[in-house]
Amino acid sequence: MDEIIVTINGSQLRGSEGMTILEVAQENGIDIPTLCYKTELKPIGACRICVVEVEGSRTLVGSCHTPIAQGMVIHTHSPKVLETRKTIVELLLASHPDSCIICDKGNMCELRKIAADMEVALPPFKVRKRYYPIEDTSPYIVRDLSKCILCRRCVRSCSEIAEKNVFAVAYRGFKSKVVVDFDEPIDKEVCRDCDVCTRFCPTGALSKPREVGEEKKGEALFISG
Amino acid sequence: MNNGQEELLLLLQKAQNEFGYLSEESVAELAKSLALPISDIYGVATFYSFLSTKPLGRNVIRICKSMPCYLKNCQIIIDTVEKEIGIKPGETTPDGKFSFQLTNCIGACDKAPAMMINSDVYDDLTPGKISEILKACK
Amino acid sequence: MPQKLIVLRNCGVINPKDITTYLDRDGFKAFKKAIDELTCEQVTEEIKASGLRGRGGAGFPCGLKWDLARKAQGDEKYVICNADEGEVGTFKDRYILERDPFTLIEAMAIAGYAIGAKKGYIYLRAEYHHLDLLTDAIKQTREKGFLEHFDINIREGAGSYVCGEETALMDSIEGKRGEARYKPPFPPSRGLWEKPTIINNVETLMNIPQIILNGAHWFNQIGTDQSKGTKVFSVSGDVKKPGVYELELGSRLKELVEDLALAEKVKMVQVGGATGKIIPYEMIDTPLAFESILGAGAVTVFDETRDIVDVVYRSMEFLAEESCGKCAPCREGTEVIVEILERFCRGEGLEEDIEVLQRLASAMMLSSLCGLGQAAPIPVIDSLQYFRSAYENRIQKN
Repeated sequence: MDEIIVTINGSQLRGSEGMTILEVAQENGIDIPTLCYKTELKPIGACRICVVEVEGSRTLVGSCHTPIAQGMVIHTHSPKVLETRKTIVELLLASHPDSCIICDKGNMCELRKIAADMEVALPPFKVRKRYYPIEDTSPYIVRDLSKCILCRRCVRSCSEIAEKNVFAVAYRGFKSKVVVDFDEPIDKEVCRDCDVCTRFCPTGALSKPREVGEEKKGEALFISG
Repeated sequence: MNNGQEELLLLLQKAQNEFGYLSEESVAELAKSLALPISDIYGVATFYSFLSTKPLGRNVIRICKSMPCYLKNCQIIIDTVEKEIGIKPGETTPDGKFSFQLTNCIGACDKAPAMMINSDVYDDLTPGKISEILKACK
Repeated sequence: MPQKLIVLRNCGVINPKDITTYLDRDGFKAFKKAIDELTCEQVTEEIKASGLRGRGGAGFPCGLKWDLARKAQGDEKYVICNADEGEVGTFKDRYILERDPFTLIEAMAIAGYAIGAKKGYIYLRAEYHHLDLLTDAIKQTREKGFLEHFDINIREGAGSYVCGEETALMDSIEGKRGEARYKPPFPPSRGLWEKPTIINNVETLMNIPQIILNGAHWFNQIGTDQSKGTKVFSVSGDVKKPGVYELELGSRLKELVEDLALAEKVKMVQVGGATGKIIPYEMIDTPLAFESILGAGAVTVFDETRDIVDVVYRSMEFLAEESCGKCAPCREGTEVIVEILERFCRGEGLEEDIEVLQRLASAMMLSSLCGLGQAAPIPVIDSLQYFRSAYENRIQKN
């Protein structure tokens, strides 16, 4: 395998052909935030949180899907990168419900963690929220699409890992929505005991029904600043 | 390559032309014959604005609202059609004769304002021309 | 400067329903020259040397694209003609397809030979109903024996602007939702069904036969340093003579808008459709070239009665409706900007909105997955630069 040398944040690092910028960074302990990316799933480059600066490129590039090339000079935390990531997090928060305190996933929510890490507070703009009724007719899965950030981890894990293809993305633009069949509430027999999508969902959009008396999951999340 | 996937959009267009919309029955049938999940087909069907999962009238009126038509006062054409057929954009007449939609640029900007009825383009529109065009619709 | 016809040379001259009228105008001579006298490499070299750049907006060197696909390994390769002209205010491809389908077919056959493809697709937007004319033109070409080693299929779009973006277009041909893919891989190495693919705009391809016949040097003499040849423009809006005009690259915007399309009392011109740059009248002498402004050739003229904030709001509303929704900055960003601009239209802007608009615009341009989201904020940025007071006047007092 051909060795490729790149420079990340001033350090020369080695990788091999076919590796992405994110993989090289992670191997070397450089932390790039991700949302739609999961090692087990094929990358789609949808959330754009993992963008980095590559010298000579007009735009920032998604590190989860961009392969390294010989001599690439990469900045993962330049002011331009941080400012852009912060704005994307604000955009995702703007259409997300402000119900973290009562949300079951509140302490484990990846969006909330990233927002806390990046010191993103309330977005300086408004946009309509996506309100959808909570789907709780299934004994195995509860779906609250108002909390969905369209990272498609459920769609991909259901197809790539569970191989059940229950979900798909429908409509387009801001109205995009993860649907089941003809945009019906989730209540499918194949979803019994599977639990794949609920584990992959970064927010409170997909979860297992909470048992009576069960504690809220995860360590309490303290937000600094 | 999944052959079923390649056929999907073509078959959806065919069904749309034949039945005027994509009913749950026709989507379910496609899912079976192409071995694709219903969710996926519904996802494709709702992405494209010329495909509809709800029944449409026999004549689908699409008035262009993009910039060049807007500059040529397409609003007055929209108002005239509204008055003539008694429905607002997004609606279908109770007798199923007309559906009325606003659409994005149809590439007739040199002859704005313009609209389409089914697959025919009508351009250089004036309020006076509307009633005759609509009368010719069956 | 008068019009210079390379792309439109046959429009209105030949009968688009009769291939013999095309053959009388040197039709398929370039194709014969390519396969009889030139190797595949010589064809791509000729196109490279001509300096022809893509006419769909991005301006990528055409010969380089072809050469990458020619060198790419693949048992199958594809040539795609992008006829999904959906940019607001563009109708030049419609004009061409209606009048001269044969040059396009000949160019695709040459491209097929050059990169080693046996199959081509024309992706035609749903609103253009030239399917019958094109199908018939392909049939006539086949009957004359020019499509023995390369065949062309037509795929119709189904109403989606983003499908004009090359990766979304390929997904649409594959029967999927027309969503953008990340790049790399680029289409010449992995495109349609992961096979090497070139995607060219209608107008780009229309130049090919003349370049092969007359040579790269001939083409190279026309235009400017970095913009060779001509460009076809679609002019609409506040002009007396809207229509399609072909000018040598480097011609001034003023010549097109005032001398040819007969505009008066111009306030500004948007060049490139909904995502196009906004040019105030003081800059009407700007040359039309890749070095300055070009886009896909949509030129929308606004006179002094028009309101810039309203114009930008409508452009953004269009882009929000047409965003595929896959990537967060475009899906959410267009929606937020529409919300802000709508308030400005009502005179209810907030002091901090201008800074927010600039931040959103920057994030979208830098991080969106495809050209739609990356270019969407251009009108916002330009209007804030040239017409800032129009925004400031609508900030709500108290």
